[in-house]
Amino acid sequence: MTAAGRSLDRATTTLGAVAVASAVFVFARGDFSFIRVRGDSVAVVLALGLLAIVAGRRASRTLTLAAGAGFLASAAVVLLALVTRGDSAFLDVDGSTLSFCLGLGIGLLLLGLAHDQPRTSTP
Amino acid sequence: MTTESTQADTREIVVSTRLSRGIIAGVRIGLALLWIQNAGWKVPPNFGQGAQPTGLYQFTSYAVEYPVFPPFSWLVEHLILPNFAFFGWMVLLAEASLGAFLLVGLATRFWALVGLAQTMAITLSVLNAPHEWHWSYLLMFMANATVFATAAGRYTGLDGLLRPHWQSSTTPISRLLVRAS
Repeated sequence: MTAAGRSLDRATTTLGAVAVASAVFVFARGDFSFIRVRGDSVAVVLALGLLAIVAGRRASRTLTLAAGAGFLASAAVVLLALVTRGDSAFLDVDGSTLSFCLGLGIGLLLLGLAHDQPRTSTP
Repeated sequence: MTTESTQADTREIVVSTRLSRGIIAGVRIGLALLWIQNAGWKVPPNFGQGAQPTGLYQFTSYAVEYPVFPPFSWLVEHLILPNFAFFGWMVLLAEASLGAFLLVGLATRFWALVGLAQTMAITLSVLNAPHEWHWSYLLMFMANATVFATAAGRYTGLDGLLRPHWQSSTTPISRLLVRAS
């Protein structure tokens, strides 16, 4: 395992920890409710966050990609909910949930894809 | 000590300590949370348009009601408000993307420029509206400019991790990401 590979794994673990930590917003109300994580989305961010943590700890590219794909799929579902129902009741989500899932999804996918790329010295 | 070495030392202070890197990362993540939270109250499909305007529609209409820059007010009145559903979706997707990319520190300098453009649009819409604090918008400009100037994604962001990969690659997307980070 190279130092670069270890850095990628640490970043994967960190993004997973951020996802798990975001569950605290289930209790947040008012000005400091930065991200809407309520109802079903709590289970999703916890499960995918834990998956990303395991991926980082086990240096598993496959699990990293799976966690990233899971978050991107979640962002797509949130977007679909917003398109079809707007301020929907069937999923307790809004644009902040979309933004959060999108960021973690793209980040984890890129980390997974970067794992196997050969590195040469930078110019 | 020569002038050149003094200048080099001064430049290094910005990023040489863990505290400095942490503060730069904190500003980036704080700015990301600003955009994430504010993507939350852009509610489709009407975005506040209706008999009693609320939300994004109401704030956008302030550009006409309390003009800041007359050509922008004309644009809002004749192009944006008549096509508000499309405009609302563009705002929602832009702000959700701003939050997403700044949160993980990916293509950070590009998204900081998008943030500056969006801040300009917001400022031109609401600066003269009642009860607005003008420093809010100036601070948003400064925060986005700081994230751009410091290439903040290179400190505890994905730009810092992935930039060496992109620099060693010759694909167009890698070259684009090097410039965007």
